[in-house]
Amino acid sequence: MGFWEIIEKKGWYFLTTLLDGWPETLTVAIGALIFALIFGLVVALLRLSRWRMLRLVSTAYVEFFRGTPALVQLFVIYFGLPDVGFNPSPMQAAIVSLGLNGAAYLSEVYRAGIESIHRGQMEAALSLGMTPIRAMRYIVLPQAIWTMLPPITNFAIVLLKDTAIVFAVGVVEVMALARFLVTETLQSAPVYLMAGALYLCLTIPMARLAARLERQRDAWH
Amino acid sequence: MLQLPQLYAENIHRWLPELLYYSLTTLKIAAVSFILAVAFGVLFALMRTSTNRWLRGIAVTYIEIARGLPIVVLLYIVYFAPPQLFPDLNWQWFNAFSGAVLGLALHGGAILAEVFRSGIEALHKGQREAALTLGMTPTQAMTYIVIPQAARIVLPPVANYAIGLLKDTSLCSLIGVNELMNGAKSIAFADYQPMAVFVLVAGIYFVMSYPLSLAVRYMEWRMNVAG
Repeated sequence: MGFWEIIEKKGWYFLTTLLDGWPETLTVAIGALIFALIFGLVVALLRLSRWRMLRLVSTAYVEFFRGTPALVQLFVIYFGLPDVGFNPSPMQAAIVSLGLNGAAYLSEVYRAGIESIHRGQMEAALSLGMTPIRAMRYIVLPQAIWTMLPPITNFAIVLLKDTAIVFAVGVVEVMALARFLVTETLQSAPVYLMAGALYLCLTIPMARLAARLERQRDAWH
Repeated sequence: MLQLPQLYAENIHRWLPELLYYSLTTLKIAAVSFILAVAFGVLFALMRTSTNRWLRGIAVTYIEIARGLPIVVLLYIVYFAPPQLFPDLNWQWFNAFSGAVLGLALHGGAILAEVFRSGIEALHKGQREAALTLGMTPTQAMTYIVIPQAARIVLPPVANYAIGLLKDTSLCSLIGVNELMNGAKSIAFADYQPMAVFVLVAGIYFVMSYPLSLAVRYMEWRMNVAG
């Protein structure tokens, strides 16, 4: 059978099956995004902290998680944690490992964003009697968010693409279903091309959005 | 409770040589796909900046697609799709290794094309024109004036890409290349020691990539100093 003949006969079946994987893919992506947004901020604040020990630990964390492949981190968490008494489900392992990986990356984005706000802002807030945490929360971060939005959007794209590795620990997302389909029908070319097209439907508009946010930001400053 | 130091003391003499042997394949994949990616990158950067509308269109489409696809999906497409799309050709030579290298290089080519383009565009046109006015041939202007200046702009992002590439080679295990990650899997599950083995492997990747990231930092620092 030729390529187009297969698309005609099986295309709908392929498409609906692959679409069934999106809830899982998006759960991993959004879960890991929230995890990384929160934990990344904690790490960034620790790296700017006054105590040497906290700075060292958070720097080591960032260096290590940025220096090793996400797949290895995923395997340490999913296959390794049972050795020390935790048994994460595939979904939990996927969210935690991509979240930890992303936090290391986002902490750098946060740090650059916070450092882009003039020190005088922080000092002014402190001299008005704000606590450092309140000054960060109400003065520095709201201003920094505009600088950080484009890189955060770019990070979300990278994260969405990175979720394609989590089938390796058994999360039944788009890529896992594509592999099932190929095992079932042996039609690797149409199935993988279709899966790729589905990813592009999300990543290309997101990239456009990131580019637009960046242009707007640079126009303002 | 897991006793990592003890486990390592007992097993490292078996694990480490085997893992290092597998990491040779990892380095080989990274090296070959890096060279190919630079070639693709140069080619598509030139196409992207050309005056021909069609060449520009092809380059833009390629860059958008290759950058928008997850690398894993790209690897699966490159390795599994062509033999099925063109069954009449000879696919004897096309093994998982060449599929992996080609997939990674296609992805890297798109990233590097954008890097090279920004390098070319950052350089004022007057530089080349001045060189030509001084009587240099276009080739001389390129080798003595344009490339030395563009290299300074382009080197840090290229090195950053190389770090990413080194880590991305781990994805080749998913299409069945026997590199470091696959070696780690077979040892980890044969010895029932996933935590110890995968942490060790993370360490090996770190040792390979960290010198590169220090080099990037040094380059960026030097560029800031030199202005």
